[in-house]
Amino acid sequence: MEFTKMTIDDLKQQLNEAKISPKELYNTSLALSKKAHEKLNIFETIIDDFQMEDANSRISGIPYALKDNFSTKGILTTASSNILNGYIPVYDATVYKKLKEAGAVLVGKTILDELAMGGTGTTGHTGTVHNPWHMDRLMGGSSAGSAAAVASGIVPFAIGSDTGDSVRKPAALGGIVGFKPSYGRISRYGLFAFASSLDHVAYFTRCVKDSAILTNILKGQDEYDMTSLEDDNLDYTLTLNDDIKGKKLFYFKDICDPAYYPNSSDETMIETLTKFQETLDKCRKLGFIIEEVSFDKELLNAIYPTYMIISCAEATSNNANLTGIQFGPRGEGDSIDEIMLNARTKGFSELIKRRFILGSYILQKENQEKLFLNAARIRRLIVDKMTELFKTYDGLIMPASSNIAPKFNDSSDRLSEEYLILENHLAIGNFGGFPSITLPSGIVKEMPVAINITGPVFGDKDILNIAYKIEEILGFKGLVKDDFYV
Amino acid sequence: MIEKDKLKDYARKLMFEMNEEEYETLQKEFEVILKQIALIDNIKGIKDVKPMTFPYIAYKATFREDEVKQEIDAEEVLSNTIHQYQDQVRVPKVVE
Amino acid sequence: MYKVVIGLEVHCELQTKSKNFSTAKNTFSSKPNENVMPVDLGLPGILPYVNKEAVYKAIKTAMALNCSIPDEVIFDRKNYFYPDLPKGYQITQVTKPVGRKGYLDIVVGDSIKRVDIHQLHLEEDTASLEHFNNFSLLDYNRSGIPLMEIVTEPCMESADEAIAFLETLRSVFLYCNVSEADSKKGQMRCDVNISLMKDTDTELGTKVEMKNINAFNKVRSSIEYEIKRQTAILEKGGKVEQETRRYSDEDEKTYAMRKKVDAIDYKYFIEPNLPPVKLTDSYLAEIKQEIPKLQHERIHIYTNTYGLSLYDANILAKEKEVSDYYNDVISYGTEEKMAANWVITVILGSLNKLNLTISEFKITPLMLANVLKLVNQNEISVNNAKKILYQAMDLNKDPMIIIKENNIKQIDDEEVLLPKVKEAIDENNDVYMQYLEGKDYVANFFIGKVMAKTNRQANPAITLKIVKEELERRKNSGN
Repeated sequence: MEFTKMTIDDLKQQLNEAKISPKELYNTSLALSKKAHEKLNIFETIIDDFQMEDANSRISGIPYALKDNFSTKGILTTASSNILNGYIPVYDATVYKKLKEAGAVLVGKTILDELAMGGTGTTGHTGTVHNPWHMDRLMGGSSAGSAAAVASGIVPFAIGSDTGDSVRKPAALGGIVGFKPSYGRISRYGLFAFASSLDHVAYFTRCVKDSAILTNILKGQDEYDMTSLEDDNLDYTLTLNDDIKGKKLFYFKDICDPAYYPNSSDETMIETLTKFQETLDKCRKLGFIIEEVSFDKELLNAIYPTYMIISCAEATSNNANLTGIQFGPRGEGDSIDEIMLNARTKGFSELIKRRFILGSYILQKENQEKLFLNAARIRRLIVDKMTELFKTYDGLIMPASSNIAPKFNDSSDRLSEEYLILENHLAIGNFGGFPSITLPSGIVKEMPVAINITGPVFGDKDILNIAYKIEEILGFKGLVKDDFYV
Repeated sequence: MIEKDKLKDYARKLMFEMNEEEYETLQKEFEVILKQIALIDNIKGIKDVKPMTFPYIAYKATFREDEVKQEIDAEEVLSNTIHQYQDQVRVPKVVE
Repeated sequence: MYKVVIGLEVHCELQTKSKNFSTAKNTFSSKPNENVMPVDLGLPGILPYVNKEAVYKAIKTAMALNCSIPDEVIFDRKNYFYPDLPKGYQITQVTKPVGRKGYLDIVVGDSIKRVDIHQLHLEEDTASLEHFNNFSLLDYNRSGIPLMEIVTEPCMESADEAIAFLETLRSVFLYCNVSEADSKKGQMRCDVNISLMKDTDTELGTKVEMKNINAFNKVRSSIEYEIKRQTAILEKGGKVEQETRRYSDEDEKTYAMRKKVDAIDYKYFIEPNLPPVKLTDSYLAEIKQEIPKLQHERIHIYTNTYGLSLYDANILAKEKEVSDYYNDVISYGTEEKMAANWVITVILGSLNKLNLTISEFKITPLMLANVLKLVNQNEISVNNAKKILYQAMDLNKDPMIIIKENNIKQIDDEEVLLPKVKEAIDENNDVYMQYLEGKDYVANFFIGKVMAKTNRQANPAITLKIVKEELERRKNSGN
């Protein structure tokens, strides 16, 4: 089997059988990294020397990539923003520390949308990340580099962060698995905050089992993250194959059916939705009970504004530490205000500034009630409704995206006046801290499309089990574009 | 439409500036967003809902024991700035 | 005449091992930036984690101030840019402060006044900025130290009341053992709000705020200055400006800092990284139990129940440790007034001389009570008791052991004492002659002599009785 298609377990077997050494594995990955980076623009930093801690775990010796918004002691970390040019952290993110201690080998730190505030992979300070499936198409973001690293086969897994859909969406566009465990399952310590109440550590893998393996390694309470959950001490790989007969899934009525868009000229969208319906049929055959559920349309329409309000508000506060005083490029000026002002004026792109102004506006005393608190109320309505549904159903199954990866020129991060529920529903998983996984479900116009499954909070084990069984029948495990390196 | 001067004031309070064109983009963006946001207001019964700050409240969190653990030294505190003097971060004189 | 209305905002650093939201050491240190964790620098990716002890101490104080306590602990962010605030926001409490609607009774002159507490909340201290001629320096040691803020209602009417409140409040901090509250170390700081109104006014006058005044005497002089300044303005028919003023030490005046027209919007919102923690009834009951009797309660007991003078009661209750010591001595059976005398004169006097605190003191309350029991039983004299105590301090020994070793017990036995008395008179015939001339007071001279002969162990009362009897006997028998 080719390296680019191998899962963690595949590689581990090679290591165990001494067919390859960790160093050789790293070198293979490094060589691919350089090649793919040249084509796609994946990395902020490529780690040019082999460093592995003495460990024996299910991922020891396995190369991986890390989004550049995780604090890595001694390694440049910029969050793809000029405001952090040259910033060398003095402490390790818990996730990075755990991976190090488990013997995983870091190959590079990956590009993201600036400060993780975007969904396209086009706004990082070193430029656009391309989709290995098609050079003219978006990778999606914000964890664009990490997605591209796995989608192009450089590494079997890569760590990202997911605030609205920042792992699960690019995973869909790249034909790989993207898993976001329950809020609190994995420590956020050292993950540069975007919106603290929505931020999750999440990751890209080649298969569902690898996501379970990583969750085993990364989960657990952290003395530095008060929102982290006590370890349930379960091995999530042991229940992957559990019988799913009779498990119930639901999807939102009215928006997933191609018939709902009679006048649509968007062929690929219709094809994507048709694929979704086919996937549902396959799942039914497998033994799932799948039902349509009507969910208050007003609430679904409110997902995007609610997400915008909460995330921008929290982001403007979370990033108020970026002043260039104690770290980051110092602004010029004779007064303290001037140096802060100049550092921030130069350091942030226009898009980020607009988000911050919006966030700050939302938090203003006179607007808080109407904007910030109302959004927080909608959040509760949505989460309560979902929690209620999860009493009946084991999970929500949806198309992860309404379409294949868009081309660069027909997408921008400016807000469109029409909110597309299909493009934004993944944020529900962040609102409620629900475990949520995206997995490839088909090919449309030579591009991958995907489904997403979201379950009740703390139900990580069951969601992985469901996804694993679906992955089996869909047969897209280890999906990678065949001729990428040709 | 929201006044440009207001936006400038907001930016200033957030310690950055933008150019005229950018403010104009922002003005337009505000309009779109405020329209979307208005949708929220119309949702029935919204006023009776308790705002949600945390994804869930499990009441599992506990306070930290009062124990000292230090991982960085003064040198590391200063390792990301050249603006230092006598083991402290040097800034232009702060006038109160 | 104008009525003065004063409200205070008091900041007090809590005494804990680590900081409020990080594990860095909470200490007053001289070496810059040595007690810092990434959290205290506001580095990207950091998360706060609430210190149990800080919450405990804040709630304890809130309870001591008769506040109502919320059902859970949550925090809020206060957003503003300032170089001493590395995160760009301060973690504080607005939504649910740990204490609300409390009060503290203070003694002003000879009346008791109730000062209403608006709220008590837990927050974090900022980094410290040191200013030089053309630059400032930032030290992050103080950043994140747990800070408690107590906000009173505007209800005090004079500098005296404000000072009495601050002093009483400080005693609460000390009695509850939540802070050293040393204003020299900046551990207790105060913002003063002051406004003047006519007696006939129904609404408060325009409020002037004075920030960050540490020492109590400065609080007094700033208030006195402001009263004068605002009175002068009002009397000329002018209007007091709503503003923040700075108190200057040098000329004891206040100066305008900034007008309140453009009040800062702090954009408060609930800190999402700190999930709510429920306060259980049992936890609160546990804290409640830990609150000792406070200073004013003890003074009340000392004067009303024990019959001590207010002066002595104040001395004993000035520090909790001393008061505890005194209470312990009493608990071992020593009579209250006697215990008060000994603690004040002997114990406190010695501590002063030896420059020790009572917690460093080796003579335990039980030891003192044991010695005083012997004094009461006339087994040793007052003077000897004192001597033994001083010796015990010097030798770092239990006074009872010294008494045993040296066999220092008072001689009560008349058969032992009488020969000594006779000797003393025989040896000092000239003094005896004076007695015959009617100078009764020379009896004391003989007592002294007997003391000398008995290594000061003679019971002075019994000796006096024997001396008198012997002198009388000789006089009557014509010798």
